[in-house]
Amino acid sequence: MKLTTFAQSLNDLNLIKDQGLQEVILGHQDFSRFGKLKTEDFFEFSKRAKELGLKVIFEWDILMTENTFAKLALEIVPLLDSFDSLRVQDPGALEWGLKNTTKPLQFIAENGNHNLPGLQGWIDHVQGRMERIALSIELPKIKIEEYCKILKVPCELLGLGRILLFYTPRQLLSPLSEDKLSFNQEISAIGESEESPHKGFPIIENRHGTFMFHIKDFCLVDFANELKSLGLGFFRIDLRFSAFDQLKEIKALTEDFNEDSFIEFKEKYPQDLMRGFYLVNKTDVLFPKLKNHRLQSREGNYLGEVLEAEKGSHLAIFVKNFKGLRKSDKLKIVHPKGEVFEALIYSLRNLSLEEVDYIEPQKTALIQFVGGVWVKSHVFYQHP
Amino acid sequence: MSHFFPEVLAPAGSLDKLKVAVLYGANAVYVGGQKFGLRTAADNFTLDELREGVNFAHDRGAQVYVVLNSFLHDKDLSELPDFVNFLNEIKVDAVIVSDLGVVKTVSSLSSIPIHISTQASTLNVEAAKLWKSMGATRVVVGRELSVKEAGKIKREANIEVEMFIHGSMCMAYSGHCVISNFTQGRDSNRGGCAHSCRFEYSLDMGLDTEEKKKAFFMSSKDLEGLRILPEFINEGIDSLKIEGRMKSHLYAGTMSKVYTEALAYYREHGNFLSDDLLYWESELKKVSHRAYTNASLVEAAGTDSIFNERENTETEWQMAGTVIEASPKSGIVIEVRNAFNQGDELEILPFKGQAITIVAREITDIMMKPVARTRPSTLIKLPYQNGVESLHLIRQKVKV
Repeated sequence: MKLTTFAQSLNDLNLIKDQGLQEVILGHQDFSRFGKLKTEDFFEFSKRAKELGLKVIFEWDILMTENTFAKLALEIVPLLDSFDSLRVQDPGALEWGLKNTTKPLQFIAENGNHNLPGLQGWIDHVQGRMERIALSIELPKIKIEEYCKILKVPCELLGLGRILLFYTPRQLLSPLSEDKLSFNQEISAIGESEESPHKGFPIIENRHGTFMFHIKDFCLVDFANELKSLGLGFFRIDLRFSAFDQLKEIKALTEDFNEDSFIEFKEKYPQDLMRGFYLVNKTDVLFPKLKNHRLQSREGNYLGEVLEAEKGSHLAIFVKNFKGLRKSDKLKIVHPKGEVFEALIYSLRNLSLEEVDYIEPQKTALIQFVGGVWVKSHVFYQHP
Repeated sequence: MSHFFPEVLAPAGSLDKLKVAVLYGANAVYVGGQKFGLRTAADNFTLDELREGVNFAHDRGAQVYVVLNSFLHDKDLSELPDFVNFLNEIKVDAVIVSDLGVVKTVSSLSSIPIHISTQASTLNVEAAKLWKSMGATRVVVGRELSVKEAGKIKREANIEVEMFIHGSMCMAYSGHCVISNFTQGRDSNRGGCAHSCRFEYSLDMGLDTEEKKKAFFMSSKDLEGLRILPEFINEGIDSLKIEGRMKSHLYAGTMSKVYTEALAYYREHGNFLSDDLLYWESELKKVSHRAYTNASLVEAAGTDSIFNERENTETEWQMAGTVIEASPKSGIVIEVRNAFNQGDELEILPFKGQAITIVAREITDIMMKPVARTRPSTLIKLPYQNGVESLHLIRQKVKV
């Protein structure tokens, strides 16, 4: 397992080399969400990285609408000789890279992409050009292991860095700022809401939009050895929002983990840390509670719904089943709270109050009142 | 003038809403089954209801698209084939998908047309070409695109393009928000969105003072693109989508009616008269909504697209009820949703044409006893009036 990281200064490049890393991800200001390098800076960084023997990865993770995409894609062309691999998130950028360059492609599959056929599909699509696939941090280790074993390209995972929760191209902080901002200016804020138990969300607005992060950073440094054994190819260290010299400690911890050193590292690190869903992802367990259980019970012999329950007088049932309702039908009526009542119809009338033997579908039947039944109760045939 | 006219695609959170949307003119509806969609808390359709909904829509010339737009995990994906086979059997017209694994699964099992969901944030020609090469027949483009950009995608990628024209909007790129996942343990991209973007936040912006800015800074205004209809038509956009499977019958009916009538008017006259536009806009305002914006439909959404207000359910108009039967014999039988009084003015929305205004002078219960004030969840009768049909919606101005 190799480490990969971002450089934001020429000194970062030196440190990356000193720590024995073999590559660097560079963020151009027009293509990378948090990239700060202008074109001339990019050439300089690339040249320096190559002198240091580092592989240069060009990051294009901004999602671009068509007009911007068409304009900026052309601006990559003069940069092509300055990097070794193209790293993209937008499927459009992947397609552009496939057709317009010969560069190895790295796909950031961190957004969704939680199943094997999908991941395999991205790899197959680029026909041998996929150099690496960056997996979602929402995947638990059992899945990371499976994907690392099955996928035919190396997998990458965030090892340390901010957790991006929200990304919009709209500028949400500047309307609240009292200063008039220039195009390249970045605004930051710390947010909290009484409606959320969490406090201290870092928020950044830059020329590409507004980004909100989790209050804790993601950290699997203490699981680096395990990830190595699972077959992970690349462990990404993102220190763009913290002190870059911590790379040394992180490198040491990933090679020879030591609990005391890890505690010391965490104390110095500017944010609290979390491992997210690494051990287990249960983000669907609450779903049954979000469902209205009564609404789930309409399969089978479902006949219709009680529209009116007038005590001592009648139930009005809207007949939804194509079989309609007959006077001889035996009914099972399920109260919204789940209580079940049975009824044999002895009075059946239509809305003109005529006694009838049959009510057709999509019409309303009036039957005798059944004690305990409320409006919105569901009605089923007792017979098939 | 272009001879191409888009379909109006309405949301249908339940079978009743599907019927309402189709009867009020929608050319197509999108619906969800009990799984695989993004509206876990919605009624959604049982298998029987899906079958009935497809038959109902097809009988009236409308199409039904089924959402399978969750970002499915492997274990979810393993449950998908049976459902896809069922959708194939009942002849749904398309599925709406955001995940490549789902695209692969659907295309391996069926020939159901695949529409790429807005959750996939298709924003450019290259992305559309990629999805087309994966087997998609349509892309529901991201709401960050202008109509002109979407038209370019259609022409250059040679694929059908669907655009949202109305409704609530994610502030984030759709599919790129995981606030609920990490703060509430609910996967927003599998139907568990907690709408954290609608919360009020206190923002420490590093000012010298201790003061924090309070703002609903992540809450977007609602999209409304009525005035831009000619541009959608000229750009050849295939489908105009209305957001809102969780919204009311009145919403589904009003939106379907307004947009189909506006399109029909344009088809006939080749332009809009300002009076008609004002009328349709006034109709759109009669359903619950946040302040409207055209967001990025013309140019990139600016700061005036931020709602920055607390959510509330106050509306100028409310749904009084639904006609469940209407005949000279039975009279107009109404399932009451919100109470109204004898003597109140009501508007009955016909499937086509202007609302019918009536005064509820004679209200009786179902057993013909006079009623002075109706109660929600009861049935009442009004004297029969020509032109009133089952499933007509009735609204009333809220008294201040």
